[in-house]
Amino acid sequence: MSVFMDLNVPFTDNHELLQQLIQTAAHLGYSTVAINYMFEPSAKNKQVPVPADISQLIGPLPLVQGRSRPIRVLHRLTVVVSDPAHFVTRANAEEYRPFNLLAVQLTSEKLFHTACLQYDVDIISIPGTEKLPFFFKRAAINGAADRGVVFEVSYAAALRDSTRRRYTITNALSLMESCRGRGVILCSAAEQALELRGPYDVITLGVLFGLCDADSKDCVSSSCRSVLLHAETRRTANGIVSTRRREGAGPLGEAVSAKRAKVI
Amino acid sequence: MVRVKSRYLLCEINVTERKYLLQLDDRAVAAAVREAVGRIHGDYGEALCNIRFSVKYLNAHTGIVFLRFSKRFYKLLWSALPFLTCVKTRGQTIPCFLKCLHVGGTIQTCQKFLIKYNTQQLHRMLPNCKNEEEKEHVRKAIMNCSQAWGRKKDDDDEVRSEEDEEE
Repeated sequence: MSVFMDLNVPFTDNHELLQQLIQTAAHLGYSTVAINYMFEPSAKNKQVPVPADISQLIGPLPLVQGRSRPIRVLHRLTVVVSDPAHFVTRANAEEYRPFNLLAVQLTSEKLFHTACLQYDVDIISIPGTEKLPFFFKRAAINGAADRGVVFEVSYAAALRDSTRRRYTITNALSLMESCRGRGVILCSAAEQALELRGPYDVITLGVLFGLCDADSKDCVSSSCRSVLLHAETRRTANGIVSTRRREGAGPLGEAVSAKRAKVI
Repeated sequence: MVRVKSRYLLCEINVTERKYLLQLDDRAVAAAVREAVGRIHGDYGEALCNIRFSVKYLNAHTGIVFLRFSKRFYKLLWSALPFLTCVKTRGQTIPCFLKCLHVGGTIQTCQKFLIKYNTQQLHRMLPNCKNEEEKEHVRKAIMNCSQAWGRKKDDDDEVRSEEDEEE
């Protein structure tokens, strides 16, 4: 049995709901979930959200179905970029550091191209709720695949009504046409516990999205794992040197000094 | 000699509250599956659904369902199952979803898997028990399961019904 992950569970202020979501995910057999914080720089609220402490939020973590370890909960930030100024491109920006995973959602073709080739992110999110205003270009998609950036298709919108179901399937199929099933992950983006699906059901759902059997299994297991490893290398210095704040050390500047030491 | 082959999907119905589970019946579940397939795959899907599709077993206490599909089309029909969001029964809609646990070629393999799965659930339940009485109850049920491994397989059914009362 392989390890299944669900890298998109939206954050809500309702703690009970979040607890229910995580419990259901553990019951279904997901060994890792990532709590997603949406951030839209164009909106009034300009502040990057700060991840909440999971152990205080939901207490002891539930055990995963089929294994004896508790579920692992990560933090993920999705930045909705509609203007190049919205995204801080430099790596290890201070506001992104508390998050394990970094994702972007793009609204124009030009931004999509630069994001695939240059942005230092782990996941490019493809929305399922609206029709995409652009086509996917081979060059950009191949560039992203070479850099290890993956595309994310979420299925919860497809469960709600038939219009969004059509958009999700259209967007997913046009993506699969250009990337041929490599470097894609399937996530839930479920707002209620009832919108989560079991890993094997998600694998067959991938068949509807134009993936072959082996690829769609990779979408929930090994591709997700490679995303986590990619995120690890982004946060540390090439995945070799990592820094950790000591207990009782100063609040800032730790990461910067560690980086300098490595260069020398 | 060639015989007609089928696939049995062992599914678990997940609901928010336990009282919904007891209201389920097999005809309602079959109708819900048909409707979901019709919504996703249209008339073609519904036509395939008429070939050898049935709900073989439903346990309203644990929410376990066996679905039988024809082997040729089961992948297509299975891909519509995630879109099942509610079951309509006796004039009310129960929001729920199906989680597929196991796909087997015969009912017997599914049954074996189910016993293993239910034992696992009992083990998971043990630390969550509130008082000593409950704990003793669950322990006894687990002991029963482990004894059943040595016995013949027609005893298995009996053990499973005991477990069902537990959950």
